[in-house]
Amino acid sequence: MNTLKLLSAFLKVNVQMALAYRADTVVNILLNIMWLGWELLSLSIIFNNTETIGGWGFGELIALLGVFRLVHTLMIALIWPNTEKFNQSIRDGSMDYTLLQPINSMFLVTFSRITVWRAWDLVLAAILIVVGINLAGDIITPLNLLTFLLLTVSGAIVIYSLWIVLIALTFWFIKFDNNVTILQALLDAGRYPVTVYPVWLRIIVTFVIPVAVATTVPLQALRGDLNFGRILMFLAIGIVSFLVASRVWKAGLKQYSGASS
Amino acid sequence: MLKIFQRLWQVNWAEQWQYRANLIMYLLYWLVSPIIYLAVWTSIANSKGSVNGFTANDFVTYYMTLLIVDQITSNIVIHTFAYKIQDGSLSGELIRPIHPMLTNALVNNIAFKGLTIMGLIPIWIILFFLNRPDFSNVTLNAILLAIPAMLIGFSVGYLLSAAITALAFWTTRVYSIHEFYYAMILLFSGQFVPLTLMPKLIQDIAQYLPFQLLIYFPIQLILGKLSSAQMVQGYVMGGIWLVVSIVIFNFVWRNGVKRYSAVGA
Repeated sequence: MNTLKLLSAFLKVNVQMALAYRADTVVNILLNIMWLGWELLSLSIIFNNTETIGGWGFGELIALLGVFRLVHTLMIALIWPNTEKFNQSIRDGSMDYTLLQPINSMFLVTFSRITVWRAWDLVLAAILIVVGINLAGDIITPLNLLTFLLLTVSGAIVIYSLWIVLIALTFWFIKFDNNVTILQALLDAGRYPVTVYPVWLRIIVTFVIPVAVATTVPLQALRGDLNFGRILMFLAIGIVSFLVASRVWKAGLKQYSGASS
Repeated sequence: MLKIFQRLWQVNWAEQWQYRANLIMYLLYWLVSPIIYLAVWTSIANSKGSVNGFTANDFVTYYMTLLIVDQITSNIVIHTFAYKIQDGSLSGELIRPIHPMLTNALVNNIAFKGLTIMGLIPIWIILFFLNRPDFSNVTLNAILLAIPAMLIGFSVGYLLSAAITALAFWTTRVYSIHEFYYAMILLFSGQFVPLTLMPKLIQDIAQYLPFQLLIYFPIQLILGKLSSAQMVQGYVMGGIWLVVSIVIFNFVWRNGVKRYSAVGA
């Protein structure tokens, strides 16, 4: 309850901040539409030359693009702005004030900045997913749809947890300003099904920086490629990674000693 | 003048070397999309035999060459310069008797390139063994022919980016403009896919735009895919765009500096 109240307070503050830069918001939305156009064009170029890639059809890739955009929005609307603030607060010691507040510090650090106009990206992503699923014309069972939704959420949690671990490392290595660049770098790999990639790349994006768990895997569930055991495994990975991340965060906090001490 | 460049080089090299961890991250970031495109297109070519006459090996050689060419012709001037106009730290450089954009910023870019290329070499060799491209069609002559093309490509790209960066004298939204420019590069340069696989309309327009000089033209020269008529046409376009970009840059820069009034003035 408290958490929800806080979240709505954060949202209000962030909406106010965004309203101060209205023209920027318009420009950003235009650029966003431009990138969507580019993404659709690049897919149409690919499918002018082939009917399937890695066994997936056009509609499935549109749906994948939608899921990719969800993760991308998570990255750009939440991860980037909060990381920037967090790194700054470690360097100048303003992290002290965050820790003094009577709220879960992990929540405070990861949700205080939200690029609100990106909410429109979520709508776009939802449209892409629905259109993609329709185009694919697969007989999608309600069960597949349900597992798809569950795995999308759990995939997002995996990415969120990885982010927590990456920024928590800053407690140990103060000068670790590049903490999320590696995540951003490999994110693009989520645009295409990992089944297309050579083995070494597939291993990296599945196990090291598990972008695929948040993009390819939910889509595989939708296609009915995953058996029950697999689905349970990926859901478990989501829960476990969150638990591990909170542990690492707590251990990191113990390391923190303020900027001047 | 040579002495000035020498000293600028020392300073900028030392500066970039300090940020080598950043540099590795940047390199990684920049490497991912060509590697993904390579994987996507070779997988399509392998499943169909060939795509529009392109075999899997054609795609591998194309993107492996792209990694090098793009590293040579691209620049980061928007990221190292625009903020100086915005926060006023440009003032100190303007009173020096040398052109800030064409000396210090230029050398800084080249130092950055030198270091990223050093980082790229081992990665490129690993990718070479992973993909085993057949480069037997590449001749020494072709590489020699491509060197001036890459220099022209870098110069045109640098001047255009510098002109866009200088728009920061007028607007705070220079990064958005640059994002649009970057999208044009993706569309018309051959970064995503060899231009001959793009829709006909885009190919036709791309011929007359500067973007293919950055990537597609040098790659095709190195891979020996161009007839002599096409080479001449490419170099003529390169010459024309070099002149045009010099004119554009000078115009924007001169008017911009006239408008400039630093923070606090």
